Amino acid sequence: MTLEEAKGYVLRRAKELGLEAELLFVENRELSLRAQGGRLEELKEARQGGVGLRVVAGGRVGYAYTEELSQEALDWALEEARENALLSAKEGAIPPGKPLGSHDLLGEGLSAPLEAKRQAALSLEKALQEDPRVRAVLMGGYLEREARVVLESTQGAQGGYRTGLAGLMGSFVMAEGESRKQGWEVKLGKEFHTLEPGRTALEFREKTGRLLGAKPLKTGRYRAYLEPEAMASLLMVFAQALSGKAALEGKSRLWGRLGERIGSELVTLIDDPTLEKGLLSRPFDAEGTPARPTVVVEGGIFRTFLHNSETARALGQENTGHASRSYKGTLGVAPSNLYLAPVGDLRLTEGVVVTEFMGLHAGANPVSLDFSLQALGLWVEEGEVRHAVENFAVSGNLLELFQAVEAVGNDLDWVLLDAAYGSPTVAVAELSFAGA
Amino acid sequence: MLEPALLEKVLGQALRGGADFAEVYAERAKRRRMTVRSGRLEEALSGLDYGAGIRLFFGTEVVYAYTNDLTEEGLLEALETLLRAKGALGQVDGQGRGGLDFRKQVPKGLHAPQIPYGKKDRRYRLERLLEAEAGARIAPEIRQVEASLLEWEAEVLIANTEGVLAEERRVRTRLFVLAVAQEGAEVQTGYAGPGKSVGLELFDLYPPKAVGEKAARQALTNLRAKPAPAGTFPVVVGPGFGGVLFHEAVGHLLETTSVAKKASVLSDKLGERIASPAVTYIDDGTLPHAFGSTEMDDEGRPTERTVLIEGGILKSYMVDRLGHLLTGYPMTGSGRRQDYTFAPTSRMRNTFLAPGDKRPEELFEGIEFGLYAKEMGGGQVKPGSGEYNFAVQEGYIIRKGRIEEPVRGAMLVGKGPETLMRVVAVAHDWENAPGMCGSLSGAVPVEVGQPHVLVSEIVVGGRA
Repeated sequence: MTLEEAKGYVLRRAKELGLEAELLFVENRELSLRAQGGRLEELKEARQGGVGLRVVAGGRVGYAYTEELSQEALDWALEEARENALLSAKEGAIPPGKPLGSHDLLGEGLSAPLEAKRQAALSLEKALQEDPRVRAVLMGGYLEREARVVLESTQGAQGGYRTGLAGLMGSFVMAEGESRKQGWEVKLGKEFHTLEPGRTALEFREKTGRLLGAKPLKTGRYRAYLEPEAMASLLMVFAQALSGKAALEGKSRLWGRLGERIGSELVTLIDDPTLEKGLLSRPFDAEGTPARPTVVVEGGIFRTFLHNSETARALGQENTGHASRSYKGTLGVAPSNLYLAPVGDLRLTEGVVVTEFMGLHAGANPVSLDFSLQALGLWVEEGEVRHAVENFAVSGNLLELFQAVEAVGNDLDWVLLDAAYGSPTVAVAELSFAGA
Repeated sequence: MLEPALLEKVLGQALRGGADFAEVYAERAKRRRMTVRSGRLEEALSGLDYGAGIRLFFGTEVVYAYTNDLTEEGLLEALETLLRAKGALGQVDGQGRGGLDFRKQVPKGLHAPQIPYGKKDRRYRLERLLEAEAGARIAPEIRQVEASLLEWEAEVLIANTEGVLAEERRVRTRLFVLAVAQEGAEVQTGYAGPGKSVGLELFDLYPPKAVGEKAARQALTNLRAKPAPAGTFPVVVGPGFGGVLFHEAVGHLLETTSVAKKASVLSDKLGERIASPAVTYIDDGTLPHAFGSTEMDDEGRPTERTVLIEGGILKSYMVDRLGHLLTGYPMTGSGRRQDYTFAPTSRMRNTFLAPGDKRPEELFEGIEFGLYAKEMGGGQVKPGSGEYNFAVQEGYIIRKGRIEEPVRGAMLVGKGPETLMRVVAVAHDWENAPGMCGSLSGAVPVEVGQPHVLVSEIVVGGRA
């Protein structure tokens, strides 16, 4: 069956079986081109899609999905979802829905000939080589992703949107004397024509090249300047504590702290799924709740958890429209474009510039919010970068870190992880550094 | 899943399109995930993954496409997309070749489950999860427990223009318990996650109650632990998942994906001493029912046991087809991918440090002050610089040769080649443990392992 036929079939069958059902149809398209040694090394072009089901039977919720769109597979998925619901003890409901319209968030963003994209990959790879310190290039490449999302429920929701991304990526090794550093960089945008391979390759090289000749860092407590990429990756960990689902499951340290000060007054956190150039903007969430900006932390005061209809109801709070679900998953809560609002006026005096954290999935605990992470960085003295530092780890707790923020820059930049996270450079009064 | 005649048609068309080599990888996988919290089933998900990937080689240039449409039209369309893209980018010579002589490989069922996916009902699973959850409720400080069961049963088919036609049924099961302990404002976690290439007999191998208890004990230990000290110390790494240290510090550095492009600090070092003589490091895809075991790799080659380092000398890299073409090293059955949406690259399977001759106690003797990293979390590495890290999930201070108070939040950081030289003693008490490894070709199940190991110095990230 085609996706359209499958959708009609499942909704019809669900109604016949007396089930409330919400169907999420996703079709992903991917193109990637990787260059190495002045020629194209790998080309990938593909499509993937599937049907995700959330059904309510006997007031309980169950889930299933299938990528095979035969009648047999669709029947199997519907039956599995129903059985999962019947065994479950968690009450739920498919929220009442309405027509949501058809939205195009991508437009002509990716419309360039394949040859132009190939040239972008080759130019990036070539430009990466234009530095005698570059010893090896794993690859320089171009990638694009496009998704078509359709939501439809027996309760009246119906709508869809198309979105996508284009980007340049590079992985390379730079060396100077005995010192070696590896860069692994991605630069993303919403449109192909905004990509600039030459300039991006230069940025990639500068980011890694400045880390060469690193010296060990002495164990101690120093002021830290967290660059946008480093701070944004910490926001990914913090976002889990902001989730109404984590709160409901007893896994958020922010539970019971609404309205309290949880950070310095310089800390304002906003999730905005409506940002025009936002990497993960969306017109509505995975349950069809229309998107709107949410101020999560305002001047250090914790204003709201992020909620879907289920967590909002269970906790008696307002639904913020943060339902997330892939067709392969269960209902969750996730930000779209979550960022720390820029302030400006940040000057380096003395301390460590942290350029990147490594090992986030293991070294940062989203429940306790403790972190102990490998980092790469630069030593600053008298307002100037003196040399790179390496072989050290930074540790603390995210809540303490937010309290200790003493300046926030205006150089907002984004990284794409499980959602899009943005931050300017942030100065933190003191963090614990372990090294030599 | 796919008929030989159809495979022959697709592969033949690929050769006529100018490819030197073509491969079809198809899979149909059923998955199930059930999660219990607060004494009840809160989430249950079933899924069917279904798709195929087509990979073509033009010399060492690779083109890859995947689709969920496994009909003749669907596969030929995916192939056409690739040939068109290739044609737009370079020349296609249009050389055809004769029919294929498939050598059909019959799976031996080396890792076949005793209790397959379809056996036992949901209620049986739910009861085991409730046992695991109840097992973790050992103290009033345990405020939240989450027990999840993950089941996966995949049929995989691989055919290529060298005549390979192989199928395998892969079954994996994992139980995962997270315990959250709280006292006042202090919140800490513990977890346990046994997994094997088995069916529901996993519950017999790892009784759910004991798994829950292990997660809870770790959470309670962390609750009374002080922040780890910061600095450079001798570290004794515990057996089992402790092997993630070497997985990060050396394993990834020996994959041809980096090695072939000189983007690993261990490129071009075959036959050289790269580790202390105490280090023998093995990647074995054949261990019965291990989490990272399969009968064939994801390129259709039989998996094997590969000695990577013997007595500190580098003996082999991990080599997939592309790595072989780029380096000339013989293939080691190491081509792996998460699923049909990824082309395979060289990856680890079950990788472990071989046992030494010391008693574990001997490793602690003579340590004035150091860290015992008893249980490990995950880690990460940059192969091009060798910089790695991994997190200690349960750690203790070693003082005057004795294991003393628990410490939490330790992150070990270093450079792989330096750490390899600093392995001063290896005990005889070897164990393996399961995990997921993420890299270029996605997240694949692996095991890591080792006995107790003493490293003379590592940077320990904690509170300064």
